[in-house]
Amino acid sequence: MKNFFLSLKTTVWLLTGLICVFFLGSYLMPAYKDIHGAMNDRLLFEWVEQVAVDHPWVTGWFFLALAALVLLTINTIVCSIQAVRGKWSREDFLLRIAPQVVHMAFLIILLAHLLGAGWGYRISGMLPQGGYGRLPDGRVLQLKAIRVQGDPSGYIRDWSADVAVYESDRETAAGVLGPNAPLFTGGAGIYLKSFELKPTPMAFILVTKDPGAVWALAGAVLFMIGTVIILFLKWKKV
Amino acid sequence: MEYILFILYPLALVRLRLVLIALAFHGALIVGSAVRYGRIPLIGTHDTLGFLAWSIGVVYLAFGWRRRRDLYSYLTISLILLLLAGSVISPVMKGPLPPVLRTIWFELHVILSFVSYALFAVGAVFGALFLRDGEREHETDQYRNLLLGYVLFSIAMIFGGIWAHLAWGTYWLWTPKELWTTIVWFFYSLYLHARLVRGWTGRPVAWMGIVGFLIVMFTYVGVGLLMKSSHEF
Repeated sequence: MKNFFLSLKTTVWLLTGLICVFFLGSYLMPAYKDIHGAMNDRLLFEWVEQVAVDHPWVTGWFFLALAALVLLTINTIVCSIQAVRGKWSREDFLLRIAPQVVHMAFLIILLAHLLGAGWGYRISGMLPQGGYGRLPDGRVLQLKAIRVQGDPSGYIRDWSADVAVYESDRETAAGVLGPNAPLFTGGAGIYLKSFELKPTPMAFILVTKDPGAVWALAGAVLFMIGTVIILFLKWKKV
Repeated sequence: MEYILFILYPLALVRLRLVLIALAFHGALIVGSAVRYGRIPLIGTHDTLGFLAWSIGVVYLAFGWRRRRDLYSYLTISLILLLLAGSVISPVMKGPLPPVLRTIWFELHVILSFVSYALFAVGAVFGALFLRDGEREHETDQYRNLLLGYVLFSIAMIFGGIWAHLAWGTYWLWTPKELWTTIVWFFYSLYLHARLVRGWTGRPVAWMGIVGFLIVMFTYVGVGLLMKSSHEF
């Protein structure tokens, strides 16, 4: 079994399998929108529990992908452990360590997805201007004002919303939401998704808490460092 | 004006380095478009196909600087002209960027994506050359193109994830486009690993470089046409 996971051929076939399964998923997703639509609206584990398990023939591709990723994770760990064992020399240090940095980054990004899939929250709803909403952690969000910038032709150039967060009636955070400009507070992100000015000004607000996001960023930075080192080392050594 | 490019790019078939004229003119058109609309000229099929053609031209020149006129030029220039034709028949998106696209993360995401596509394209051309004559140098050039393309594509995905986190509250969305982008990433990861496996080196990985570019083109053009995703603006 160890030899199976130590083999580069296993990596190749697992990646091939993942490509096939994702291909299948990309076809089934638009074909069964009612089943897959909720994947992005709630935590992934909730979707699995509440939707996916009831439609195994339609969502089977997702479970196959998950299984292949688990095997690929084991394969990556076993191969990396094998690669770092043995004697090291100063000459090939970077060449030996850089691929392991990339592998570690890949595993951290997978871990980030796992954390985001099972923990945290994702809620959304319309909030009228001046209105309040309670967050899952007990804090209260207030939508203070909506601002829209248009031009004479009627084209809306920009929009923003002032919000404040209260904890025990005390304002603990405040900020301006806009496109690509959420407010991060207490581990949660508050987003302005859309707005309406008539009949009364109101905004569609999304609040997410993803404990995996920081890990994904850390993994991404590691991945960039590792691949750039490999690029420089391999470029001339081909 | 861009119709002149259909005369300038084929000059490379006379002498490869003459592609510099086409690249300079094409580059000026892209910069002119950016100045006219006050935004990065990479919105819609017209802009992106044109930018991809120009990027392929740059990679073609960088990797072919010392080459004489050969199949490398015929294949690459044909591809550039095909992409340009697609660009000129596509509608031009006028006006400023929608607010959600006004971020450096979007700009970096798109620029790096298309530069990596260009590297994958020239990598595919080197794959075809290797399949024809079996010269080791062509396989090496393919590997360099695809490795650099893979690094830039990975960084483009990371920047796209950062942008998505700021715009939509998640760095990953389950949509066909994201799945196909991941397929591209898996495929080139597969290429880089397969190249180290005995029995896969040589012709199989050269073919992989060609198939990879077909997957890239489907991800870029096909998925947008056939499937709904977050990449529609």
